[in-house]
Amino acid sequence: MLSLPQLLWIAMIWAIIIAGAWLLAKYLFNVYTGKRSRLDRFLEPVERTIYRLIGVDPSVQMTGREYFVAVLLFSVFATALCFAILVLQGYLPFNPQHFTGMRWDTALNTAISFSTNTNLQHYAGESTLSYMSQMAAIQFEQFVSAAVGICVAVAVFRGFSGRFKGIGNFYYDFVRSITRVLLPMAVIAALVLVSAGVPQTLGGYVTASTIGGGAQTLAVGPVASLVSIMQLGTNGGGYYGANSANPFQNPTPFTNWLEIALMLILVTSMPFLFGRMVGNAREGRTLLIAAYVIYGINIAIAFAGATTLAAGMETGLGAFSSTFWTVTATSTMTGSANAALSAFNPLVILAALFGMFIQAAPGGIGVGMVYMLLYVVLTVFIVGLMVGRTPEYLGVKILPKDIKNAVIGFVAHPILIMVPLALAFSVGAVSATGVGTGPTGFTQVLYEFTSAAANNGSDFMGVAANTVFFNVSTAVVMWLGRFIGIAVMLVIADSMLHRQRVAQTGLRTDNLVFVAVLVISIIILTVLTFFPVLVLGPILSSLQGLGTI
Amino acid sequence: MGNSDAGKQTAGTGHKPDWTAILSESVTRMSPARLARNPVMFIVEMAFIVVAIMAADPTLIPLVSSQAQQAFYVYVAVILLLTVWFSTLSDSVAEAQVRSTASSLKQIEQEVQAKRLDSDRHVSPVSSKSLRKGDIIRVEKGERVPIDSVVLEGIAMVDESLLTGESAPVRKAPTDMLIGGSTLVSDALVAQVSVDPGETYLSKLINMVESSARPKTPNEAAISVLLLGLTAIFTVVMVSILWLSVTLSLGVDLSVLIALYVCLLPTTIGALLPAIGISGINRMSANRIIAKSGKAIETAGDTDAILLDKTGTITLGNRVATDFIPLGGHSAKEVGEAAFMSSWYDDTPEGRSIMNLAYELGCVPREFRSISRAEATEFSASTRKSGLKLARPGLFLFPKGGKTVLQRSRVRKKYAAVKEQGPELDISKGAPDAIAQSVRSVPEGFDEMVQEISSSGDTPMAITVNNEVVGLIRLKDQLKPGIRDKINAVKVMGITPVMITGDQPLTAKSIASEVGIDDYVSRAKPETKMEVVKREQASAKIVAMIGDGTNDAPALAAADVGLAMASGTMAAKEAANMVDLESNPAKIIDVVMLGKQLLMTRGAVTTFSVANDVAKYFAIVPVMFSSLPALGAINVLGLPPQTTVLAALIFNAAVIPALIPLALRGARFKPQGTMSIFLKNALTYGLGGVVLPFIGIEAIGQFIRLL
Amino acid sequence: MTLSDIVGKPLAMALIALLVCGLAYPLFVTLVAGVAFPFQASGSLVTSGNAVVGSYLVAQNFSEAVFFHPNPSNYSASGIDPTITLADAYSQIPRISNASGLSRSLLYGIVDNATSRTEFLFGTSYVNVVSINMYLIRRYPMVYGRYASG
Repeated sequence: MLSLPQLLWIAMIWAIIIAGAWLLAKYLFNVYTGKRSRLDRFLEPVERTIYRLIGVDPSVQMTGREYFVAVLLFSVFATALCFAILVLQGYLPFNPQHFTGMRWDTALNTAISFSTNTNLQHYAGESTLSYMSQMAAIQFEQFVSAAVGICVAVAVFRGFSGRFKGIGNFYYDFVRSITRVLLPMAVIAALVLVSAGVPQTLGGYVTASTIGGGAQTLAVGPVASLVSIMQLGTNGGGYYGANSANPFQNPTPFTNWLEIALMLILVTSMPFLFGRMVGNAREGRTLLIAAYVIYGINIAIAFAGATTLAAGMETGLGAFSSTFWTVTATSTMTGSANAALSAFNPLVILAALFGMFIQAAPGGIGVGMVYMLLYVVLTVFIVGLMVGRTPEYLGVKILPKDIKNAVIGFVAHPILIMVPLALAFSVGAVSATGVGTGPTGFTQVLYEFTSAAANNGSDFMGVAANTVFFNVSTAVVMWLGRFIGIAVMLVIADSMLHRQRVAQTGLRTDNLVFVAVLVISIIILTVLTFFPVLVLGPILSSLQGLGTI
Repeated sequence: MGNSDAGKQTAGTGHKPDWTAILSESVTRMSPARLARNPVMFIVEMAFIVVAIMAADPTLIPLVSSQAQQAFYVYVAVILLLTVWFSTLSDSVAEAQVRSTASSLKQIEQEVQAKRLDSDRHVSPVSSKSLRKGDIIRVEKGERVPIDSVVLEGIAMVDESLLTGESAPVRKAPTDMLIGGSTLVSDALVAQVSVDPGETYLSKLINMVESSARPKTPNEAAISVLLLGLTAIFTVVMVSILWLSVTLSLGVDLSVLIALYVCLLPTTIGALLPAIGISGINRMSANRIIAKSGKAIETAGDTDAILLDKTGTITLGNRVATDFIPLGGHSAKEVGEAAFMSSWYDDTPEGRSIMNLAYELGCVPREFRSISRAEATEFSASTRKSGLKLARPGLFLFPKGGKTVLQRSRVRKKYAAVKEQGPELDISKGAPDAIAQSVRSVPEGFDEMVQEISSSGDTPMAITVNNEVVGLIRLKDQLKPGIRDKINAVKVMGITPVMITGDQPLTAKSIASEVGIDDYVSRAKPETKMEVVKREQASAKIVAMIGDGTNDAPALAAADVGLAMASGTMAAKEAANMVDLESNPAKIIDVVMLGKQLLMTRGAVTTFSVANDVAKYFAIVPVMFSSLPALGAINVLGLPPQTTVLAALIFNAAVIPALIPLALRGARFKPQGTMSIFLKNALTYGLGGVVLPFIGIEAIGQFIRLL
Repeated sequence: MTLSDIVGKPLAMALIALLVCGLAYPLFVTLVAGVAFPFQASGSLVTSGNAVVGSYLVAQNFSEAVFFHPNPSNYSASGIDPTITLADAYSQIPRISNASGLSRSLLYGIVDNATSRTEFLFGTSYVNVVSINMYLIRRYPMVYGRYASG
């Protein structure tokens, strides 16, 4: 149960983040609509050089299909580069610990995991990856997958808005996402993290002779630069196996709450950006409120039990912040952790799963808002008819083809979770990992595929899942989970772009009534889809009194 | 909802539904081959087959069934079969309704003997089926008009009640449209056939009704996709649960799983979707409106602005003269006499009302006897006046017969012989502004009086004798009964009514404000409608309008919803996407409401269907995983396991017939703001859809326990 | 769509992004951090003389009775959480006092000074074991002298 100070604390954190996100959205709007800026003097020559090097004309408008193909191919090459670095790290520089190359299936899983913004980690970074891999494979993909997410969102916003001449140019959006948004923010965040104690060095691991006698290996490295982009880009894949439960990655309460804020800031600014791009701030605010209401419901579920985290765990961060972090990391598709999931009350796990089933409250960077728009299309269609008009959103009539695309995007999620889940149990892949078949074991495997399909990356199986079956199956799930949703929403946005806009006289979508309708509709659609598996997993655990309820 | 009067149903109500045929049809429809068009119900039937096999011999499907449950399987199988049947029954009932409408229409269209005129005016009897476009026919009193045609000669009263439900006979004069199937009740007409058989309005109407099930409208198609998506999700969920159950030995019984699956499938909307569409079209036909496509009906529901012709829509159309106002020292009698003369050749209801008023007031002029020698000046759009010129008259003789309705033909016959030469008399009447332009000066008080008449909502008409204004006629517009409520209904639903009238601004303003219209266009010219349609569409509105003249055709084509009057010109009817056989312009409002109702009904049943699933989950899931007793905590209904499953299944099946009346009649709604309608429907069908099954399943469950 | 659209442009973009985000960015941050925050950047290392004896952020095995003992490693996901609760710290004071001869009130004072809270104003009160033990070693060389060598 949340105490009053805790409630006030959450309100304060959210207020700060929402205010910051509102300001940030103003800046983002200028970035993606090409407004002149004082930064142009420094950045334009750099950006022009990049456009020249890759040979694109950034002013050329892409169709939805071209945009998607560019996103997909770029991600393929990023994955390939990452895979190569992971496998070949033994031959590459910046490897003071002389780690050998990664196993092919782990490397495949990792490369796809990071290029899809998932960051499921079937390895412990500090004992597996060289500095080269942590930088040129991991941090590289954390940047580009976050940038791709923003690009897709911006393109989709342009289509829904209809106020732009096209949905944009992927390379233009991508380059600006890196140079004007992610890099500056990540540099500042990284330096603040260093100042608070997060290491950032290329010197090798330190061996200390401890006070009590004996040697201790201190795994340092380029940690802060990774942590800043991993939280900011809702990636979540940590430098260490224990993620932000490792004191080097998250040394103090200050870094703890800063990292929470970093997870939320960009995803919270996306609805504001949407409002600006469609020319009606209220439309953006409505979706933001809906996302935060669901996020709040998840928080409430997580704290519904008498205790949330096993007693005595993570003393330096506390049960409150760990629980809040876990729900936030799963609601934002960051998936980072500052405590072990196995130590939580099943209700926290339930809340985490709920966040990943919905994947839009507020969801991962860029794609969270894209999924929210998918829910909006479905909701407006189902309930909008009840006012006696052809349902429309932002003045655009919703056509059968939109429903077809939205339904494909919506159906893909349960398929990508349930089919491999059943497969994993039936082929004996689960028992091979040593995970049990009781409700806890069931929850762990369910969680694994849910996290993969939602491109979250929070993992309940950890290195136990480093088997060929789980590496390959989750890789497939992550890839499809990422690109099916992106494809259908780009198609919808593209077709809306040039569609006739009518006066908005149907169901209003910019008020609190719509927030309520949207929230209820999202929850009902999610519960209808996932109720049976939730029953077999966390609900059963909770009812059987497993965990700390 | 308040569409048109119950009397309009005449053609559709003569037939009682043939229940034997409906029942046998509904059973035939259950064959898998025919059911395949409705994927949801097809799946339910497949599920029935699986459970039926389990009921016959549980060992045929091992692992997920048990011998002890055989009786339960029989119950489940029976209810599944009932579910399918309820769905086919609802289709059959809806189609029977359509068939009865169509067959009553066909009766009107039946073959009759027609009289075709040859080029030498010789009459030859032919079958109505052999008539072709362009043929000349003669129809006499008591005969049925064989086919749609246009009057060439004669004036007669025609009874169109079978087609339009309007009981009063309609006067038909040259250029008027005759609809095949109507009956002459007086005189005789010569008319030219305007269509080939099979293209008549009646056959179009029959066609529309009979083909209503076939092409899916955009919204219907979108709902179908959504239902398919939901079906896919539940299929994935159920297959994975079955798979997991076998792998993890969860002891799930297949029949319970199937029961849950069928309960979750959107069976309600899946079963009723075709019926809703069919009955929507049927309601249109009951209103005697031919929609060229189902899409047109949906678009009508989306209307943002309606263009309303003042005359015929808002007002009865026949303005009545109520007052003669003398000006410039003339007497009221002089004005009345001049008005009488000026209207002699004016065959409009207004002209006749002027003559009647003059006659009532004793203002029949002396010059009357020489009137047949007068030369008429026809009304023209450019001068906007009409009247007559005649030589100076001699003595006037009051006609015999006293105060009877004045009949021109009789008067003319009696006095036609009188011939006397005199000085010229030039009388004309017209719109005050037009008259003011044609005379040298207007008398004192002219403008003020015009102003006063206009601002009270009446129409002034100026009278001149030899180019001198003698006075004004006050013509009173009569509002159509109930039009104010209809306009109000349109406005509260967020639709902008735009009134179009040829009247001058003050008159237009007064009428508009009397019925509550803010947006009006006065002194409209033929091209005005097109301008208004374009203007409204430019502000991103969906525009509906009515029209009848050739002038209206471009605007009808440009408008999103164009409703043409059957009495209108061919061009107008071809440009429009709907035709009203009754030629009642006010029906555009009904059309919009019908469109809304159709969309609303689909939305309501879809929402209800999806919301229903919540309760079914809570009812069945604890039973499904009965090997995990801890789950008993979420069994909120507290019924024994098998009872719960049967109760949920029965509820699921029973909802379909329970909602057939809603599907056929359409969701009722009061014209209210969008938000009020939404909240009301969301609570009724959304929240109601969540809560009702809990109550229903519990009640059915308790009932089963009693047995 | 040309070959350049399919291979050239996306591959070139990925390579440039790798150079910028995967190398230039972390190296730049390392450079700045090393200059601005050398202590934190290298891991908040605890040195005694010239020797590195641990990190303030990483728990180590203080098994002697005179020290505050960290949590067993299974109390945190990392196993190296250097913090203990205030209650835990208090409960160790009698033992430390007995073993070290430092008065209990002195130790209570030291613990209270070293206490932080997880939400700054409220939340769990905790003590960093490495910090407090290093404080004891440096502040009380008479007692802890033998641990202070390099």
